[in-house]
Amino acid sequence: MSRPQEHRCDVLVVGGGTAGMAAAVELAATGIRVEICEQSARLGGAIHRQPADGSPAAGLPRALGAQWQRLSQSLAHADIVQRTRHIFLGIDSDGLALFEDRAAGTVRTVRAAAVVLAVGAVERIAPRPGWQLAGVTTAGGMQVMMKETGRVPSGRILIAGNGPLPIALAAQLTKLGNPPVAVIESGDPLRRPGAALGLIAHPHIASEALGHLARLAVAGVPWRRAAALTAIERRGETLFATIVDRGGRTTQIGVDWIALHDGIRCNAFGLPASGDAIDSRPLIVRAGDCREALGAIAAEADGRRAAHAVIAALRGGKIARDGSSRRVAGQRMAQALLSELFRPVNLANDPRHLADDTILCRCENKTVGDLRWLLGQEGLSPREIKLNGRFGMGACQGRFCADSVMAITAASRSASVPEDIEQLTGSRWPLRPVSIASLAATETPTADTNHPTE
Amino acid sequence: MRSGQFTWQGQTISFRPGETIAAALAGAGIGDLGRDGAGAGLRYFCGIGACQSCLVRADGRIVEACLTPARDGAVIAALEPLA
Ligand code: FES
Repeated sequence: MSRPQEHRCDVLVVGGGTAGMAAAVELAATGIRVEICEQSARLGGAIHRQPADGSPAAGLPRALGAQWQRLSQSLAHADIVQRTRHIFLGIDSDGLALFEDRAAGTVRTVRAAAVVLAVGAVERIAPRPGWQLAGVTTAGGMQVMMKETGRVPSGRILIAGNGPLPIALAAQLTKLGNPPVAVIESGDPLRRPGAALGLIAHPHIASEALGHLARLAVAGVPWRRAAALTAIERRGETLFATIVDRGGRTTQIGVDWIALHDGIRCNAFGLPASGDAIDSRPLIVRAGDCREALGAIAAEADGRRAAHAVIAALRGGKIARDGSSRRVAGQRMAQALLSELFRPVNLANDPRHLADDTILCRCENKTVGDLRWLLGQEGLSPREIKLNGRFGMGACQGRFCADSVMAITAASRSASVPEDIEQLTGSRWPLRPVSIASLAATETPTADTNHPTE
Repeated sequence: MRSGQFTWQGQTISFRPGETIAAALAGAGIGDLGRDGAGAGLRYFCGIGACQSCLVRADGRIVEACLTPARDGAVIAALEPLA
């Protein structure tokens, strides 16, 4: 077996969303050779997912529309190698970054002096009985599908969870002609005037949210606050959602689609640690939502901040200050206010209340009962929870179960509680299940093949 | 980018230019993507390659339906036979 062909660049940016694009543009402007790798077929990430047919994206708030113009135009004029359909697999012990090149069906290796990781956020989804059923998506997943296809799901849609995103999705569906039957919200923002007043300092966010709420009010979409969706059941073609309201009363709603969203968190699962360059290992810097989940406005500023840190490290000299860090700090305050405004008051989705047969880890088909049984064994370590129960070991690497596994473990007191989520999910290589065919293709001897050099 | 057709479990599905497998299946009203080896149900969920619950076999390779552009003439199947 010979080594696969190495490709070289100065800085490798992993992730072609807002933060990655902003970092790449900033780096390239100083003459640094940049390569940006994105898992899907087009740059943009989740927020700026472009319509499949190449038509301009519509329906974004004005600040985000302007952001896309700025980033896509700068990128078009910059000398940046763009690679799409590249799935990041990790950085090996020799400091090489590995990607599965889905279009070519091979593994591609890149040696860079620095790597900017900008792989975004994932949505938090509290497990509820039935959350694993077909027809149930994340709210962000439904948005991405709508952005890509320009189509609205047909039939009755219910949105449930927590925070501003469910309202944004509801407003979007309403605008496109299929208002949801209701938005179920576990917080009670109208009863938190203090936090609402704080948002006056962030007029973009406040006016956007008020615009959404006005649209929902006009369309007569109920915004049921202090309520929680606690279970989903499929009977025939219909999904039945159980809703527990403010007073503890239970109702059922039959729909075709359910979109869930309980907040966002960093998508830092299994990522290589940040750190300075040592021997053959590149400098590794995180940018945007995978460093701190603060949304798209912060991600653009944080991408620039990360680029300045890389430039200073590679070229020497001070880190340039252009207000990016200040902008990130401003968004941090805005997000803190929003979390306070939307703090859940209906706690029916607390994982400790879940029935035993609720799927907890979908990838490994493990239930809450499986975890409780495991926790019944005395004195388990986080590693044993993971290895014996396979929690956090599935294909999604714990992205959708690790938080709940932690909460249920903490509540049981019989096992030692993982101090941080990495103890449970670990930092594993490869980051994605990679097709054996692709790995095999890497091992083709390069001596007698003529690879074009780039 | 072209439009075209692929087969899903033997059924012909049309797609529009640039669409992912997941988008084309959703357009055809298909949401249940079968089961994986562990017996867990598969379906479109996160849309960003994170949840791994939309895996399908496209021309023999396991890929995320939400990330993979549809290809004319592709043969797409569920990981395990549909019930
Ligand atoms: S829908 Fe989550 S990975 Fe495709």
